[in-house]
Amino acid sequence: MRNKFDRQLSQLNAELITMGALCEEAIANAVKYLTDSDEDSRDACLAADSQIDEKERDIETLCMKLILQQQPVAGDLRVVSSALKMISDMERIGDQASDIVEIAPYVAESGIEDSTHIRDMADAVIKMVSESVESFVKMDMDIAYQAIEHDNLVDELFDKVKDELIKSITESGRNAEALIDLLMIAKYFERIGDHAENIAEWVVYSITGKHKNQSHHREQDTRRDPHDLSGGR
Amino acid sequence: MHKKIFQSSFLTAFLVLITTIALIMGVLFHFFEEQIQKELENEAVYLSQTVEKTGVRFFDGFEKQTNRVTLIDADGKVLFDSDAEAEKLDNHADREEINAAMKNGTGKSIRYSQTLTEKTVNYAVRLSDGSVLRVSTTQYTVITVLLGMLQPLLIVLAAAVILTFVLSLRVSKAIIEPINELDLESPENNVAYEELTPLLKKLAEQNRTIEEQLADAHKKQVEFHLITENMSEGFLVIDKDTSLLTYNSAALELFGITPPVSGNVLAFCRAKDFRDTVSKALAGEKAENTMVRQERCYSMIANPVFEEKEVIGAVIIILDITEREKREALRREFTANVSHELKTPLTSISGFAELMKEGDVSQDTVVDFSASIYEEAQRLITLVTDIIKISELDGKSIPFQSETVDLYELSEEIISRLKGQAEKRNIALNLIGGKTEITGVYKILEEMFYNLLDNAIKYNKENGTVDFIINTTESGVTVLVRDTGIGIPAVHQSRVFERFYRVDKSHSKQVGGTGLGLAIVKHGAIYHHAKIRLESTEGKGTTVAVQFGKDSFAGGEQ
Repeated sequence: MRNKFDRQLSQLNAELITMGALCEEAIANAVKYLTDSDEDSRDACLAADSQIDEKERDIETLCMKLILQQQPVAGDLRVVSSALKMISDMERIGDQASDIVEIAPYVAESGIEDSTHIRDMADAVIKMVSESVESFVKMDMDIAYQAIEHDNLVDELFDKVKDELIKSITESGRNAEALIDLLMIAKYFERIGDHAENIAEWVVYSITGKHKNQSHHREQDTRRDPHDLSGGR
Repeated sequence: MHKKIFQSSFLTAFLVLITTIALIMGVLFHFFEEQIQKELENEAVYLSQTVEKTGVRFFDGFEKQTNRVTLIDADGKVLFDSDAEAEKLDNHADREEINAAMKNGTGKSIRYSQTLTEKTVNYAVRLSDGSVLRVSTTQYTVITVLLGMLQPLLIVLAAAVILTFVLSLRVSKAIIEPINELDLESPENNVAYEELTPLLKKLAEQNRTIEEQLADAHKKQVEFHLITENMSEGFLVIDKDTSLLTYNSAALELFGITPPVSGNVLAFCRAKDFRDTVSKALAGEKAENTMVRQERCYSMIANPVFEEKEVIGAVIIILDITEREKREALRREFTANVSHELKTPLTSISGFAELMKEGDVSQDTVVDFSASIYEEAQRLITLVTDIIKISELDGKSIPFQSETVDLYELSEEIISRLKGQAEKRNIALNLIGGKTEITGVYKILEEMFYNLLDNAIKYNKENGTVDFIINTTESGVTVLVRDTGIGIPAVHQSRVFERFYRVDKSHSKQVGGTGLGLAIVKHGAIYHHAKIRLESTEGKGTTVAVQFGKDSFAGGEQ
C-alpha cells in the first residue's frame, strides 16, 4: 500500500517538475517572440501552454486519487495540497505567457519596446519562474525565498515601465495603442511574477507547513488602510 | 531450548519422585498389612489353644490388650467380648468370618468403617466344641495413613521439588552453554557437540559462499564505480518511473549540480530536449539528441533497458560536445572559405579565357589577359601550397626532420629573399641579434618567419621599418617581428590567427596573400611548443613575438 503511495507521490513530483519546466519554456518563448518576433517561439509557447493545461488536469486527477485512495496525512497531505495550489498558479503562468504572445505582434510593429524597461522585466520574470521551479525541484527553501524576494524587483520594474509609458503617451501621443498593449504585457509579466512568488510560497509551505499568507493576512488586516476598498493584493 | 530442557528434566524428575513415593508406600503398606494379619492369625491360634485347654474360664479376668477378642458359641451367640458386654451383642452367626470359620475351621474378613478411615481385620478360628474364637484388630486405611503423613510428605516433596528445580536449571544450563558459546564466525573451530558438527560444517560452507559472493559483488561494484567515475561522459540510470537509480560525478558536473541528488531524473535536468529523450527511451526506443545549456552543447544518448520485452528503465549517457561542435563549425567555415578562395581566381581565369576564346580581342589585350591569368594561377598555386602546408602541420602526418637551426642565419636568408619587396616600398629591414641555435624543423621555422616578415612588410606603411629581433633569455629564445605598419584593430586581434581571417576583406586582393599566413605561423608554433604573443596598436604597428621554450623541440613523433 505504502509502496503504491510512494510511487504515486514520486509520479506527482515528476509531473510537477515537468509542468514547471513547461512554464519556464512558455515564458521564455513568449519573451523570445516579443523581442525577436520568431514565429517558432510563438508556436512553442502556445504548444507549451496547451501542454500545461493538460498537465493541470492530469495532476489534479492524480492529487484527487491520492487524497481519496490513500488519505495522506501530515507531510504527505501538505505535499498533495500544495501541489493542487501550485498547479493553478502554473496554469495561470502558461495562460499569461500565451496572452503575451497574442499581443506581442502589435507591440513589435511599433518597435518601441526597446526603449523601456520591459526587457529587464522579462528577464527578471524568467529568472523568477526558473527559481520557483528550481526551489520545488530541489525542495530548497533558500531558492524559494530568493524567488519571493525577486518579486519586489519585478514590481519595481513594473512601476518604472508604467511611468515610462505614461511619459511616452503624454509627450508624443503617437502609438498610444501599442503603448497600452505594452502596459498590458508589463502587467502580465507582473502577474506572472506574482504567480511565481505563490509557487515559491507553496514550496515553503510543503516543507515547513507554514504558509506565508497565514501570517501575512493577519498583518494586513491590522495594517489595512480604511480608505483602501480594493482589499489586499 | 534452555527452557525446554529445563522443563523436561524437571518434569521427569518430579514424575519419578511421585511414582517412587507411591510405589514405596503401596509396597510397604501391603507388607505391613500382611504382617499384622499374620500376627492376628498367630494370636488367634494361640488363644484358641489356650481356650481349648482352659475353657471359657480363661476369659475371666482377661485383660484386653491391643486386639479385640470375641468368643462365639456354635449358634452364633456371643459368649465373651473383650471390648463390650457379651449380652448386648447380637447374634454373630451371619458374620462372614464366623460363618467361614464354622464351615472351614478358619475365616477372615475385612470391614471398613463408614468413613473409610479405619478398617477392621477379623480372624476367626473354630474350636473343637464348635464355638468360634475371633480376634480382630483395627487398622487405619491407606487414606488415613496418607492423610496422617501428608505434612512430612509435603515437606519432603517440596524439598525434592526445590532440589529438582535447581538441578534441572544447572543441567540445562550446562547443556546449553556450549551451544551459546559457539563462534558462528568460524563454525568449524568449535568443539561443542559431535551432533552439531554436520550443522556447523554446513554453516561454515555457507559462510564461505556468502563471503565469496559478497566479495564478488563488492568487486563488481568497485569496478562499476571506477568505470563510471572515471569516464568523462555523464552516466545516468533511471527506472521506468523516471526515478534516478545511479549516476556518476561527471553527470553532476555536466549539469552543474551539487550532491546529494535523489528522486526524479528531472531534478537533474528538466529541459525539453532532455525530457523528450527520456520519454522516448522509456517508450522503448533508442534516443539521441543534442541540447544547449548554459552555452555548452551536450549530446544525449538514451537506451531503453528491457526485461522480458518490457522496458524497465533507461541508461542515459551525456557527452559534452562543445569543443567538437566548435571544431566542426571551424571546419565547416574552413571548407566554405577554401571553396570561396579557390573559386575567386578560377572565376577570373575562366572569364579571361572565355573572352579570348571568342577571338574578338586584340593582341595587346591577349597579353594583358594572359598576364592576369598567370597572376591568378600563381595565386591559386600559392593558395594550394599554403593549404597543403597547413594540412601537413594539422595532421602531423609527415614526419619532419628535427635539427639544429641557427635562427640568425635563417633570418638573414629570409630577409634577403624579401629585400626586393621591401625596397619597393622603401621599408627598412633591421636584423638584431646574434647566432642563436634551437632545435626545430628548418622548413617549418622558415615558413613561420617568412610569413611573419612578409606580413610585416605587406601591412607596413611607405618608409616604415621592420625590426627582426632574436633575443635569448634564461627561459628560452624569443623572436620578435616588429613593424610600424597599419596595425590590427583590437576586435580582430584574437581572430587573426584563424584560417582565412582577414581584417580588411576588401583590401586582400591588393595586398595579396592567402589569409593562411598567420594560421601557418600559429600551427608552426604549436608544432614547436612555442608561444605566440601579439601586440598591436591600430595605425602604429604590430609586434608578434614567438617564444620558444628552453627545450623547444619538435619531432615528427610528437
